[in-house]
Amino acid sequence: MYEKNPLSPHLQIYRWHLSMILSIAHRIIGVVNSIAIILICLWSISLLFGEENYEIIKFFFQSLIGKLLITSLSWSFSFHILSEIRHLIWDLGYGFDLKISKITGIITIIGSLVLTVLISLLGKNLI
Amino acid sequence: MHQSTKKWLVIKFSSIILIPLMFWFIVNLASIYDESYIEIVNFFSKTSSKALYSLFLIAAFSFFSLTISEVFEDYIKDKKIKNVATKILYVFAIIIPLITISSILSLN
Repeated sequence: MYEKNPLSPHLQIYRWHLSMILSIAHRIIGVVNSIAIILICLWSISLLFGEENYEIIKFFFQSLIGKLLITSLSWSFSFHILSEIRHLIWDLGYGFDLKISKITGIITIIGSLVLTVLISLLGKNLI
Repeated sequence: MHQSTKKWLVIKFSSIILIPLMFWFIVNLASIYDESYIEIVNFFSKTSSKALYSLFLIAAFSFFSLTISEVFEDYIKDKKIKNVATKILYVFAIIIPLITISSILSLN
């Protein structure tokens, strides 16, 4: 019976709108962040292997790719934080109106970019 | 209380704890990631960092394992494969933070 359940139309059937994009992005970024946290665990475990062995990781983080990686991680964490707050507000029963939902969606996107800049500035003690 | 309700409540509770810890961690990561080995070890050697990082890992792995199991629920049709994948996910969600927390606690 489970196999005979009707399938929902595929993503290409629906007309794309902001809430749909954010819902898909929330799931994908959630998976990306969980992989990132596993890598963060490996990074912190690597400290046990001593200063000499850490040199290669330090070299990577000081490179442009390393800095880009941390900036991307700041954005994905920021997006997830704001998107999760949006979901918690929905759980309390607010923000379901289409117009409000669109506004909170835009706030999530713009806010995640602003938060990324703030995190970079806070991290480097520039503010 | 229904099992699904309990799962939903744990997801929501862990997300409420995770939000400020995620912010604390990413700000600190942005400030230390390119520092020297000594600076990073100094950061993780502080009692407050050890406590907050451990809490962050416990909340993150609880939250992500439960939400990824929901993704499995939606996209894996075969019941056996879904059960095995979910169990493997839960085992990793316990082992990885345990190893990481014990390694951080041993740093001085």
